[in-house]
Amino acid sequence: MNFELSDEQRMIQQNVERFVEDNYDLNTRVALSSKSPGFSTEYWQSMAELGWLGLPFEEEDGGFGGNQIDVLVVMEQFGRGLVLEPYLASIVMGGGALKRGGSDALKSEMLPGVIEGTLQLAFAYAEMQSRFDLDDVMTSARREDENFILNGQKSMVQNAETADQIVVTARTSGGQIGQQGITLFLIAADAEGLTRDNFPTVDGLRASEITLENVSVGAERILGKVDQGFNILQSVANDAMLALGAEAVGAMEVLYKDTVDYTQQREQFDHPLSEFQVLQHRMVDMFMEYEQCKSLLYRATMETIQDPEAAQRTIHALMHLIGKSGLFIGENAVQLHGGMGMTEELRIGHYFKRLLAIDATFGNADYHLQKFTTFS
Amino acid sequence: MDIELSTEDLAFKAEVKEFFHDNQMKKGEDYFSWRSRWFEKAKEKGGWDVPKWPLEFGGPGWTPTQHYIWEQETSRATLPFDLPFGTSMLAPILMGYGNKEQQDRFLPDIRARKVNWCQGYSETGAGSDLANLKTKAELSEDGTYYTVNGSKIWTTAAHMADWIFCLTRTDDSGIKQKGITFLLFPMKQEGIEVTPIITLGGSHTVNTVHFTDVKVPVENRIGEEGKGWTYAKGLLQHERTGLAGLSRSLVALESLKENARSVVRGNGTLMDDPGYKAKIAELEIDLMASEYTELRCLASASAGAELGPESSILKLKGTEIQQRIQKLIVEASGIYSPAWGDQSVGLPFAKGGTAGYLSSRAYTIFGGASEVQRDVIAKNVLGLTKGSTK
Repeated sequence: MNFELSDEQRMIQQNVERFVEDNYDLNTRVALSSKSPGFSTEYWQSMAELGWLGLPFEEEDGGFGGNQIDVLVVMEQFGRGLVLEPYLASIVMGGGALKRGGSDALKSEMLPGVIEGTLQLAFAYAEMQSRFDLDDVMTSARREDENFILNGQKSMVQNAETADQIVVTARTSGGQIGQQGITLFLIAADAEGLTRDNFPTVDGLRASEITLENVSVGAERILGKVDQGFNILQSVANDAMLALGAEAVGAMEVLYKDTVDYTQQREQFDHPLSEFQVLQHRMVDMFMEYEQCKSLLYRATMETIQDPEAAQRTIHALMHLIGKSGLFIGENAVQLHGGMGMTEELRIGHYFKRLLAIDATFGNADYHLQKFTTFS
Repeated sequence: MDIELSTEDLAFKAEVKEFFHDNQMKKGEDYFSWRSRWFEKAKEKGGWDVPKWPLEFGGPGWTPTQHYIWEQETSRATLPFDLPFGTSMLAPILMGYGNKEQQDRFLPDIRARKVNWCQGYSETGAGSDLANLKTKAELSEDGTYYTVNGSKIWTTAAHMADWIFCLTRTDDSGIKQKGITFLLFPMKQEGIEVTPIITLGGSHTVNTVHFTDVKVPVENRIGEEGKGWTYAKGLLQHERTGLAGLSRSLVALESLKENARSVVRGNGTLMDDPGYKAKIAELEIDLMASEYTELRCLASASAGAELGPESSILKLKGTEIQQRIQKLIVEASGIYSPAWGDQSVGLPFAKGGTAGYLSSRAYTIFGGASEVQRDVIAKNVLGLTKGSTK
């Protein structure tokens, strides 16, 4: 039993940390976020060259054979820097679905580009009515000879604007709700009948509503088996939740530490704010919630590596705590910064907004609490 | 990073399980003879009767992981009762600051559970602000004995104790942390009066202890005169991490869930009540996180590092978790929860639940109130200083 990173992981951690420090001050981030494509293609290339994009892929696919801990290490630092590049969408989600369900031909066609940063992916799992339920899928895929014809709408698809290929969940059998009958398709973003309505999200990232109108997809572009896509969907969602958890923990660290620093500088009533006990205790609570999230993140990640099925419950526990504590820390960081906390000028508001979005990505705190109770 | 126990640790876990299994109380066996038998057998295992003692004092010299395993297993087994004052609280101070003579004189009886100890720390004016204590110890002119006057409060088990370890004031001229002296003396002597305090749960565990001209020979003083605060402070840190009781809470929560499933409510059980179920779930999630916070502490201790900032969280989180479990037991017993005393009405598992809940309110008060713990974290972990009062 140990919580130490391996030498390699520690090296990655230091590299990512340095990269973020050198390249991600607030002004740079705001500038990148405000114009297309919403991140730096140059940074994305550096990340590919540094080997980060290949971390979670098998060596025979051109990756580094890393696991969820390697991703944790990267995402925690990304969270500290509020990195914009689509690591979650393209590598963890899109890449995660491709590596799990893609045929050898499909993998050798796509993965080298993904790992080299020349090909981007997105993962379209949600729909307007589904809220956070992964098994609620109305988008239909009807077989027509060797092809499938897709019709429907997908919601809040991160990185769809820049993606070359989009993984789409669609129903090949069964009713609207149910794990059986869900199939994953890999669709070219410029396929005929696929339209993207792009918009910004509160955290400075971008998402799209996707409409599929008689989009024809070849059967060879199915990830996994027909009707049997749910397991891959759940595994990808789990990896994404762990990655989001790590990102959130990184963001929480910045928020509580910035608050501690700020209250030591700001003086009111002839004292630094940090000398007031009521504020000290609030900051202690912020610190404790951060540490507890970190503990549960380690637990969920290690349990997932050991036994993914048994870890499902712990992942819900993690996302409950991340949602609840993330907002607690974010709200209090703003509160303790006073009026300055309300401005775009300070970075804490930006971290708070990212935590807000994370809580709404795969389910908020209440949703995961409810899911958790179904395992009892 | 991995969560697998090593082969050695797994073997140790099995050995502990086997020991608990082999040494259960036999049918018809007298409780106290089982208790002595149990401690004897534990001693034969190589210091298992004093798990926290270091090797050089006859303890088992376990690794932090082994301690964790022991802790987990003890919460699932029935062990003979054991008060912490001698073996866990005084013994480390004797080992660290007592002289050889004192160690030889006191440690064997502590280990054999022959002498019951109590802790004389808190006073009416010295609770969370312990250093404010006033119980006076005056050295005789010939320098051979102290005369102790004053009183202590919240003294757990003072009414059963043979001896007391006591913080006294020998000098009040400087800052209050200086001038405190650590003394040991017998409880059964003239000039000591013990008065029970009945707490909210209706039980008698704590007392007020009054000292009138109690004579204590100087050879019963630990370390130097005036340095008692330093000796006691080190122990308080120990005490803090030990109070989290996470493995016990885990077992308590499991049985609470099982019991709640037996409580009929409408067409289902209490566990179908969304509100109740959500509270249980939130509690369990906090416990799951705390368990790993504890493991992270252990891991850094195993690696020889100082206890990390995580450790300070444990007492706070752990005691709150214990209280929430007690509260949910009261909620489970519903309309019967006000029933008091020995009558057997209501749910068997929730009997005494209200008393337990009331007693549990003390968990966030003793061993440093939660607010003091937050002060400590603010200062030592976040590096925040307190303002001078203007």
